[in-house]
Amino acid sequence: MTTNVTVFAALCICAVFYLLARGRALAFASRTAGTFQSRATFHGWWVGLVALAPVVVFIAVWAAAGQWIIETLVLQKLALADAPQTALQRQQFFVQIANILDGRAVIPPTPQVLKSAADYNDYLMLSRTAIGALSLFSCFACGLLALRRSNLNTPAQQRVERVMQIALLASSIVAVLTTFAIVLSLVFESLRFFNLVPISDLLGLQWNPQSSLSFTSQEDLGSYGIVPLLSGTLLITFVAMLVAVPIGLMSAIYLTQYAGKTFRAFAKPMLEILAGIPTVVYGFFAALIVAPAVRRAGQSFGLDVASESALAAGLVMGIMIIPFMSSLSDDALAAIPADIKDGSFALGATTAETVRQVLLPAALPGIFGAILLAVSRAIGETMIVVMAAGLAANLTFNPLESVTTVTVQIVKLLTGDQAFSSAKTLSVFALGLILFCMTLTMNAMALFIVRRYRETYE
Amino acid sequence: MTHIAEASPVQSHDNTVPAGPTAKATARAVNVTYGNTRAVKNVDLDIFTDEVTALIGPSGCGKSTFLRCFNRMNDTIENARVSGDIRIDGEDIYGATINVVQLRARVGMVFQKPNPFPKSIYNNVAYGPRIHGLAAPGPDLDQVVEVSLQKAGLWDEVKDRLDQPGTTLSGGQQQRLCIARAIAVNPEVILMDEPCSALDPIATGKVEELIEELRGRFAIMIVTHSMQQAARVSQKTAFFNQGELIEYGPTADVFTKPKHEQTKDYIMGRYG
Amino acid sequence: MSNANNPLTSASSALWRSEQMQRRIAKRQVRDRRFKRLGLTAVLAAAAFIVVLLSVVITRAIPGLSQAQVSLEVYFDPLVIGATPDTAATVAGRTAIVYANYGQLIAEAINRRFADVSDPDKQRQLRTLMSPGARAALRRKVLKNSDLIGTKQSIWLYLSDDADFYLRQRARSVEPLPMTSLTTKAATWLNRLQDENLTRRSFHWLFFQRGDSREPELAGILGAVMGSFLTLTVTIAIAFPVGLASAIYLEEFAPKNRFVDIVEVNINNLAAIPSIIFGLLGLAVLLNVFHLPRSSPLVGGITLALMTLPTIIIAARAAITAVPHSLREAAMAIGASPIQVVFHHVVPCAMPGIMSGTIIGMAQALGETAPLLMIGMVAFVVDVPGGLSEAATTLPVQIFLWADNPERAFTEKTSAAILVLMLFLFAMNGLAVYLRNRFETRW
Repeated sequence: MTTNVTVFAALCICAVFYLLARGRALAFASRTAGTFQSRATFHGWWVGLVALAPVVVFIAVWAAAGQWIIETLVLQKLALADAPQTALQRQQFFVQIANILDGRAVIPPTPQVLKSAADYNDYLMLSRTAIGALSLFSCFACGLLALRRSNLNTPAQQRVERVMQIALLASSIVAVLTTFAIVLSLVFESLRFFNLVPISDLLGLQWNPQSSLSFTSQEDLGSYGIVPLLSGTLLITFVAMLVAVPIGLMSAIYLTQYAGKTFRAFAKPMLEILAGIPTVVYGFFAALIVAPAVRRAGQSFGLDVASESALAAGLVMGIMIIPFMSSLSDDALAAIPADIKDGSFALGATTAETVRQVLLPAALPGIFGAILLAVSRAIGETMIVVMAAGLAANLTFNPLESVTTVTVQIVKLLTGDQAFSSAKTLSVFALGLILFCMTLTMNAMALFIVRRYRETYE
Repeated sequence: MTHIAEASPVQSHDNTVPAGPTAKATARAVNVTYGNTRAVKNVDLDIFTDEVTALIGPSGCGKSTFLRCFNRMNDTIENARVSGDIRIDGEDIYGATINVVQLRARVGMVFQKPNPFPKSIYNNVAYGPRIHGLAAPGPDLDQVVEVSLQKAGLWDEVKDRLDQPGTTLSGGQQQRLCIARAIAVNPEVILMDEPCSALDPIATGKVEELIEELRGRFAIMIVTHSMQQAARVSQKTAFFNQGELIEYGPTADVFTKPKHEQTKDYIMGRYG
Repeated sequence: MSNANNPLTSASSALWRSEQMQRRIAKRQVRDRRFKRLGLTAVLAAAAFIVVLLSVVITRAIPGLSQAQVSLEVYFDPLVIGATPDTAATVAGRTAIVYANYGQLIAEAINRRFADVSDPDKQRQLRTLMSPGARAALRRKVLKNSDLIGTKQSIWLYLSDDADFYLRQRARSVEPLPMTSLTTKAATWLNRLQDENLTRRSFHWLFFQRGDSREPELAGILGAVMGSFLTLTVTIAIAFPVGLASAIYLEEFAPKNRFVDIVEVNINNLAAIPSIIFGLLGLAVLLNVFHLPRSSPLVGGITLALMTLPTIIIAARAAITAVPHSLREAAMAIGASPIQVVFHHVVPCAMPGIMSGTIIGMAQALGETAPLLMIGMVAFVVDVPGGLSEAATTLPVQIFLWADNPERAFTEKTSAAILVLMLFLFAMNGLAVYLRNRFETRW
């Protein structure tokens, strides 16, 4: 990769400038006994940073716009009749070129495509060399300039620290950018999906996406009603909450109100272990042990239980959420000032009465927030349901039957070999958008409730 | 919680305890340790129904800890150990036959910071009678709530808003609500742990008036930081220093002619 | 002993002494104990689940860590190999050795052992008892030592997964269970081999030395472990500096304004977004916009870094806030610039907390599966990945892939891989706890 070489060379040049500037500052400082603005290393850093700046700018600009420029140039060389018409065709065209250049051409390419591929390759090579030369030259030039202009009065330390502060600020924006990128990519790809399938179709009761290679024909796209997916998700989530909420809450109550020090010393790490088990392990356990056990148990009662029942997946998901629920309830209970509890004890209430009649009503908003977070977690949980829940989208509320969830469908639709930008794969982003909105609403609500609740006791 | 039953007959009075009517509650050789620190050392004390007993002393002298022995609130602190003999009406409150629930219903407590439950004013007062089954829900319970709030001098201020949260009241009102809450279970002894330390002077005055009114109906023990308050509300005063009971006697005597140097120093303001 | 002077008090004492009240109190305490038992049951239920899960995983993993072998007398026929010790060094000889039909050598060895079996169909059945890995083992042996050619050697070779399972069943129960795909005939052959002491079980080193395979007895986790390692390297290289820097900015430099409020709310929300959404982000942005190599540790690492970023930021902020203000003032008072205060004093003091938060974030990333499925790290990868842009898979994804396989032997491999993954996770969490306890100063 020429980019790697460029970056490496630029770093070497910067290092040299660092040493030069530092040496110069040291030499000055030893000759002149007077005050000086900054220590020698800061002079070194400053000149090094100035040398590095143009390289970063060039590479960033090229990473952002380079491909678009090359693609435009390639298309300009193409005869108008051969050029792809729609945006989708354009994308396909360049995917094909990328495949050819990578040596994994699937469909025999037409001569035009082959020629464009050669053009593309030429431009790519040229641009890499140009960018490399340009950035190395500017690196050298800027470094030299800074070195020449720096003297003992240069506020090198302030400048370097300013750069560092900007870098810190930039880092804190990464999280915001991530959210933006998530929202934008989900919305953008979903819009592409809604171009193929009207948004009102989502309300249908049938989920049966079909892969169609041509995305001009509207007939065989399949049906995209998400109601059965949502009902399946909610059913499994409901079962999970039936397990997680009582057990998590009761264990938090026991650990905070009843248990002695030794018992807590054993139980807390135990819950942490439970929380640290990867979800794929839960999924394995659900599919291998719990689902057959549920089936056998059902059969012994004369019930017909699906081998991938919602009950089995929900049970295991509930167990996964126990530690989460427990620690959040723990927080909610701990937020109540101890003197309220003492007040109840001083009136002669038993611990159970205190918990049920004073602590729980007081902690209710906190616990409600905890349940919301747990539900949001259950809705977004993927591996357990992928491994233990079914694939068929049944619209049912019977936990003994097999249902599928939003996350299962996302995984199922994306792990098969699929032409990207078919309605089937694009539907994944619509599902992702729905999942994102659901969990975001619940998290925001939970955070809001919990924050308000904390404030009442502060 | 270990309990060392020292068979000290209740009638055989110690010299420091003044003669008079039978003591409501007696403490003999009470020690409290937290881990390795001894917070209360060998304290003997009697309290009487028609009197207010004030416990005074510098911060950390163990007076609050001692107070909490009388309703076994120290049970809730993990490494606290209480030994000695504490009796109410001659009944050993650390004995095997006593359970805390009953004890705490008979010995009410008011805390330093007003701590109303996050419930309505009505439910704050009704909570105790309800859990102990002292009044049937309905008119009976209403009656208990009203009487308790009246005794606490709060009724006129809150009778129109009984369904509002107790936390919406002012600090002084909250503290009187806590007293009403304690009265509602009809206790025999009321323990007050610096009940006015979080209140402004006007609210303090009201609570002090209330204490004066309650005297005679309940044996009252009050821990206070303020010597003036002790002088105003109490009939007996006990001075604690570093976990020991230094001096115990009628309030007037303790303040005007203290027998011990330490007491004198404290009253003269030579401690922080 | 009641006080006669006070009617109210004596009434109260009498009330509390009444039998009715005593019964009521007893009942309330029974209810309290019942509530307590309920709580204890909840904790024990969680504990019981861990015990069941661990015991299931361990009991299934242990057989997966050993493998049955059979001793065969193999004649390294120079005619079949197409080379002699003399020609082995030449290019032609070497090529011949690499591409020789070792299956035939094995077939001949088996036929010699079972001379009484002459029916070609039965002979084919006999050959299926051997693992395809046996051929590769012979090739390795000859490549290593060409002097073997022309000699007859007793060599321990892997049996197939079905044969392995059968022998294990036989060892456990008195009556052999013909429940696998083995025919009764094949079972008697295996019995014969075992009774003649020609089979043995040994630790399955291959499991730790190889990548994935379609044959359970040849499938190993080295590829997945390597993939996980490369992925986590990328994750930590991105998430740690960025997370630490944003924590420093938010705690030490950020002005109190709306923007910072938004960043904070945003980080909290990001922490609760389902991991699969990050996978979609990786797919839509890293693969489709930036055209980074699909299935590669690079893309997986970036995706997981974005996912673990909130965890690290939140932990680092907590650690930084815990450093007392007096320390900052002391450093400031001797003329340190804000940046120097932070990097010379605050961050070193907060380091244990930051490190333990980072390790917990890394443990989370190590156990994560769903986002990696989205960016194509589910590929069947035989080779151990050597670079950041090669196709790779990770340990949890490998577990997911094997768990999908119907063969019983894969269940054991899955359990063994889970055991390895959990050991890594325990070690990481243990390290985090150790760092927290050992180095964290309580202010």
